[in-house]
Parts: sequence; structure tokens; C-alpha cells
Amino acid sequence: MTDAGPLLEARRVFKGFFGNPVLKGVDIALRPGRVHALLGENGAGKSTLINLLSGALAPDKGAIAIDGQPISRLSPASARAAGIAVVQQELSLAGDLSIAENIGLGAYPRRFGLIDYAALARGVREVCDLVGLTEPLDMPVADLALGRRQMVEIAKALFRKPRVLILDEPTSSLSAHEAGVLGRLIATLRDRGVAILYISHRLNEVQALCSHVTVLKDGGVTADRSLAGVDGEGLVRLMVGRETGELFPPKPQQRVGKVRIDVEGFSAGLVRDARLAGRAGEIVGIGGLVGQGQEDLLLGLYGAIPAKADRAEIDGRSGLPVDVAAANAAGMVYVPADRKHEGLVLPHSIASNILLPSLGRLARGGLRDRRAEAGLVADLARQLMIKGDVARPVQALSGGNQQKVALAKWLPLDPGVLLLNDPTRGVDIETKREIYLMLRRFAAEGRLVILASSDTPELVHLCDRVLVLREGLVAAELSGPAITEAAIVGAAMGVEQGEGIGRKTVQ
Amino acid sequence: MNRASSSGLYGAIQRRRNRGLVGLYLVVAAFLVLYAVLFPGILTIGGFSKFTQNWFPLALVTMAQALLMLNGGITLAIGPLVSLGAVIAATTMGSAFGVPGGILAVVAVGLGIGAVTGAIVALLRLPAIIVTLAGSFIITGVALILLPRPGGFVPGWLSTLLAGHTPVAFLLLLVILGLWKIFLATPLGLAIYAAGDNPVGAFRSGVPIERVKIVSFALSGVLAALAGLFVAAQTGSGDPIIGAPFTLNSIAAAVLGGVGFLGGKGTMRGAVCGSLLLSVMINVMFFLGFPPVAQYVAQGLIIVGAVAVPAHLALWRAAR
Repeated sequence: MTDAGPLLEARRVFKGFFGNPVLKGVDIALRPGRVHALLGENGAGKSTLINLLSGALAPDKGAIAIDGQPISRLSPASARAAGIAVVQQELSLAGDLSIAENIGLGAYPRRFGLIDYAALARGVREVCDLVGLTEPLDMPVADLALGRRQMVEIAKALFRKPRVLILDEPTSSLSAHEAGVLGRLIATLRDRGVAILYISHRLNEVQALCSHVTVLKDGGVTADRSLAGVDGEGLVRLMVGRETGELFPPKPQQRVGKVRIDVEGFSAGLVRDARLAGRAGEIVGIGGLVGQGQEDLLLGLYGAIPAKADRAEIDGRSGLPVDVAAANAAGMVYVPADRKHEGLVLPHSIASNILLPSLGRLARGGLRDRRAEAGLVADLARQLMIKGDVARPVQALSGGNQQKVALAKWLPLDPGVLLLNDPTRGVDIETKREIYLMLRRFAAEGRLVILASSDTPELVHLCDRVLVLREGLVAAELSGPAITEAAIVGAAMGVEQGEGIGRKTVQ
Repeated sequence: MNRASSSGLYGAIQRRRNRGLVGLYLVVAAFLVLYAVLFPGILTIGGFSKFTQNWFPLALVTMAQALLMLNGGITLAIGPLVSLGAVIAATTMGSAFGVPGGILAVVAVGLGIGAVTGAIVALLRLPAIIVTLAGSFIITGVALILLPRPGGFVPGWLSTLLAGHTPVAFLLLLVILGLWKIFLATPLGLAIYAAGDNPVGAFRSGVPIERVKIVSFALSGVLAALAGLFVAAQTGSGDPIIGAPFTLNSIAAAVLGGVGFLGGKGTMRGAVCGSLLLSVMINVMFFLGFPPVAQYVAQGLIIVGAVAVPAHLALWRAAR
């Protein structure tokens, strides 16, 4: 370890969004010549911390310091000027511009006010050689595969000759070969004295590349230590486990109802060859890191994206629904994660949002039956504990109550299967509790609830069974006492669990 | 294709941009040949001059439109700006300021209106289509206040110079295209593409995306107002509503030239070819004796086809 002072630090930083604390007094220090890993589950606050370190956000409390000097207001421009470069997960490239023009963007060498293409070509060639990009520099970025674009993004960060390099999941779209090149590059930069912050969900990479780790959990630092002598399971243990309190309703003793869904060899979008079965009265959780096919699984079952299965039986009928209308007719409903765009008509009233799927059913002689509608709305509002006047626009409600409306509108159809995509994301704790109670009650009424969630405690304490997806495959199927945070996180990250943790693979 | 050598990067990028437009170039060439067969007069100096004079204002407004579409915006104020440019030219050139003063006034008004529009769109974060729609009413109103009915004065020698029997308009177009190429080789010029394609990414890369947007609107305003000046010289007077058809024709020509609606997609050279194509098509239909109504219908069908065919060809290629 080096004795040089940190190049970039966060000192006791706090940051919240809309009264929801995300970082609660976090310290991190990036030193020259060290590869520092930042670990944490979905929603632990990693992205927010990166945004603070790169000047994209300002902390509510605490300070960002460069070379030991606290900076009062760090902007993206001043961070760049101080030699801080970030490789974000979403790419910052312009597809129609060439590789060279993208790499130099915002830092073009100039001559007489014009871009000095000759100097640009030399500088770009140099960084492209570093990252192993052999494509012609005049090639438009849109013609590159995703992994190559990621390498362009990394080359773009290097073009500015950074002293601090922050890499946010740089390998998620890279091939094994490209990841190897990146690994060697990181070692080279480290030896040249660059301070590197490396965020990854691939623990083997973290162990291979990094010498120091900071673990975030629920916005706080649970570990800030050398990686020497820490194994994969040790890292997982540092990331999981939190107070759950009285948040979750008790799980009932397994009452086995009739089979509602039974599919085998199911493929849709990212999902390949999955087996999924669910009975009435069950809550089945779908877990995994963000974007491993959870949404595709739900949308495929719902007939919203093309899907195929070797064998599929839904409520006794064979075959997958061909489209959304067929899925609705078969008693399946879907509540999207993005309730603001896909689930609700925000400026309209709570009542009209609730009524939307039922309008046709309630109509008499082609006209709307206002009295029946009012009765239905009042009934649902009571059941779902939606407080206040139902004539208010939905956008006046909190996120949690919006989610309850998005759920409520389907209940009059008496669905047999509820497909829920991360229903508690961004929802306050009290509403979460109400939603959990609701879901448990739906199950008790004989429905099957399939719940994709990015919140591991929710999977552990609410679900009767959990499927963990990893790169589109079912990495583990857990049930009963085998559902533990360690088992879910371990399976999601591809860490082999030892005996006794209760990992059970699908047969 | 091998690695581009250090000295040839700029040329290689340009060649690659041309390669994507080969189809468009061939279509334009085919129409030009057809035109020359139908109307051999285009091959004389006088015929060529008249033809390019018809094309010139459309080329300018298409550049004005494409500039904004490439940056992820659009403008519905092109036509009114053309009218206002014509009105300003016709009302100032007869005064003590003379022709140089008139040209200066037209450029200043185009620049100023464009910059203000751009500032409203960029700094207040309002949708360009709404702001420019509102702007089009205001600009039309101002033009009508300045010159309630066609009139004003443009010196005869200016009309003869720009719209006579010499290809001065064509040479001016070449100069403007050259200036655009130089602008595009500056960091600011290239930033128009980058900010249109991926505004968040461009911002993170240190591109001042608001300033880029304001500059785009300002340059677009200048081009549209200059088109108005030319129209005034062509007709010998100012007409406060003469620009109206240019708004939609500028969008049509840019789309024909492969400029996308979502920003960053397409090229200026494509847009200029699109304006040439549209201009030739209108003339060809005229010479084939299409009634005006049929011309409009055909124009509409061709534009939908121009968007649909490449998009579906790409899908079809991807599916194979």
C-alpha cells in the first residue's frame, strides 16, 4: 500500500432525494496507485456516491476533497479539470460520429480554432492501442458492438489523462477477452499512479484486480478495509443483512392450491430455458441483479414480448398468451415498474385510473354506469387503504400510494395471476408494509403473485419461493428456510455457496 | 479498410459519410438526368442559372431546418423568418443605409430572433416545436406590421445580380456550404451533432449543450432570413407572407435527405441533396403536366416513401 495522501475523498457525505436518505455519512478515500473496489447491493447508494465524487451531484452535508483540499462546489467541469474521469454504465457516445470524434469530444485539440484532426488521430491512436481497439478511427460508433462501444467509452476517459478513474461496472457488456484487456490496463494505470475506483458485481474480478474495498449497505459504510484475506463469501456477508423489523406479514404454513402457472423451457428476451411453476396462494419472487431478465420473464408470460416455451399451462389451458388481451382474458395482469409512464395516467383522477380496465365491463347498453362505478371505486379505495378524495389527480399522491392505485385498477377483473415488477421501488416504508399485507391477502384469496424485486429482504421475508436469475438463466430456485439473503446475493453474483447455506439448483 | 493514417483521419471520416449517401446521390443524379432530357435548356448558362435560383432559397431553408434537426430540435418559424427577411430587405434597402445596410439588417434580425428562440428553448427547457410555433405567429405579425401589403424596394441591379442570367446564386450556395464545412470542423460545430445524438453524454463530456443549442438556432435564423433576402431580390419587392410554404418544405427536404427526427442522425450534405431532389421533383412534375393538386399528393407520397423505404430496408437486412 502506498503512503501518498488520497487524490479524491468523500468526507462524511450525506445525500437524500425527496426526504429519502440515500447516503448517510459515507467516507471513501481514493489513493494513487491503488485499485479500490466499491461494493453494495442494488440501491445501496453506489451510483449516488459516484455522482458526488464526479461533481454530477452536490452532497447535502459533508465534503468532497481533492488532494486533501475540500471543494465547496464541485461541478462536472471542475472535476474533469482536476483529472477525475468516470466511465458510466450508460454510454455517453454519439452514434453517428466516428470513434475518434467521440473519444475527443469535449477535449478536442485545436489549431486556428478548428479541430486538429491530425493531433486528434495521434492522441486517439495512443489510447486505442492501450485498450486494444483496432477498428479504423473513422468508423461511426453506431457500427460497433456494445462491448466495443464500452471500450471506446473507456478510451474516452483515458484520452483526458485522468489521475482518478472511476469505472462503474465496466465489464457488464464486455467479452471475456475484452475484460482481460481491461484488467491488464487497470494494472498498468495503477502502476503509473492513477487512483482507480472499481464498481462491479463480479466478485472474482474484484478479488483479482482490487486491493482495497469499501462496502456500502443502506447508505452507510459497513467495511473499509484491505482485501487481503477476504474471500467471496466474506464479501457477500458484508453486503447483506439489515433490520427488517415488523415490515413483513408472517408467512402462512404452506397451503397448496391448484397449479396456476406451469411453464418449461421458457424463453423471452434475455430469459433462456426457464422453468417456472406457481400455485394458487403462493408468492413467487424473482430476484437477481438489475437487468438479468426479470422484466422479460414477466413480460413474456404476459404476452407483451415474443416468448416461447416447450410446454406451458396457465390455469388449466395450454399455451402462452399470444398478446396482452389474451393474458388479461386468462386472468393475468401486469403492474409495471415504471408506474409513472406505463401504469397510470398521472393527471387523471384516482377514480378514473382505477376504473380504466373496468369501464367496458361496468357499462350498460354502451353507456357508463356512474353508480356502479362509484360503488366500485369506494370499495377498492377502502380495501387498499387509499386515503382521501378519489377525485384528486393521481400525481398528487406519494409514490407508494400511486403504486397502490396501479395495483387496485386490476382487482375488479378478479385476476388469478398478478405479475408485479418491483412494486416497492421508491416507496416509503409504511406504504411498503401496506403493499406487503395486500400481496399476502391476494395470495390468501387464491391468487398467484409473481413478484420481481430488486430488494433482497423483500424476497426473503415475503416470498414463499424465489427464483434467482443471472444472465437470463435461473441460477437458483430457493424455497422455505433456504431463502436467505446470502443465498440470493450469492446466486445473483455467481458465487458458489458452500454446504449448509441451502442452495438448491433447478433440476 | 486499414487503420486510417494519422494525416488522413478527416478525409476518411468524410469519405465514410459520403458512402452512406450513395443511394441518395444516385437518385438525385437520375432525376437531374431526367430533368435535362425533359428540359435541355438547363444545360445552358441561363437555364442553369434559373434552375439554381429556384433551388437556392429552398437549399438555404433546408440547411436552416437540418441544422436544428441534427441538434435534436425543429423549427416551425422558417417560413415567417423568410417573409420577415424579405420585408426587412425591401424596407431598408431603399433607405439611406443602402444595400449593405439592408443585408446587415437582415442578418442581424435573423441572428437575433434565432438566438432569442434558442435561449428560450435551451434555458427554459421548453419544447422547440411549441416555442417556434408561437414564434411563427409573432414573426408573421411583425412582418405584416412592417409591410402590410407587398411592396418596398429592392434595387434593380441587385435583382439582376442574384436572379439574372448568371449563376451567382449557385456560387453563393457553394460559399455557404464551404463556410458550413469549416464550421463543422470546429469543436462547436461538431458538438451540434454530438448534443443532438446524446445530450446527456455530451454534457458529461464537457460539451456546453445550452450554448450549442443557442448557436444552432441563431445560425438557422440567419440562413432563413438570408433566404428571404434572396426571395425579395428575386421578386423585386417584399411580401409579408411569401415564405409560408418554406416551413413544411424545409422539413420535407431535410427528411428526404435522410435527416432523422430524433437528433444527431443524418448529414447536412444529405439535407442539401434532399432539397435539390425536392426542387427537381417539383420541376419535373410541372413539366410532365401534373396539375398542382396532384403535385402536392405526389410530393407527400414520395416523402413518406423516402422515410419508409430506408427504414424497412434496414429492418429487412437486420432480420436476414
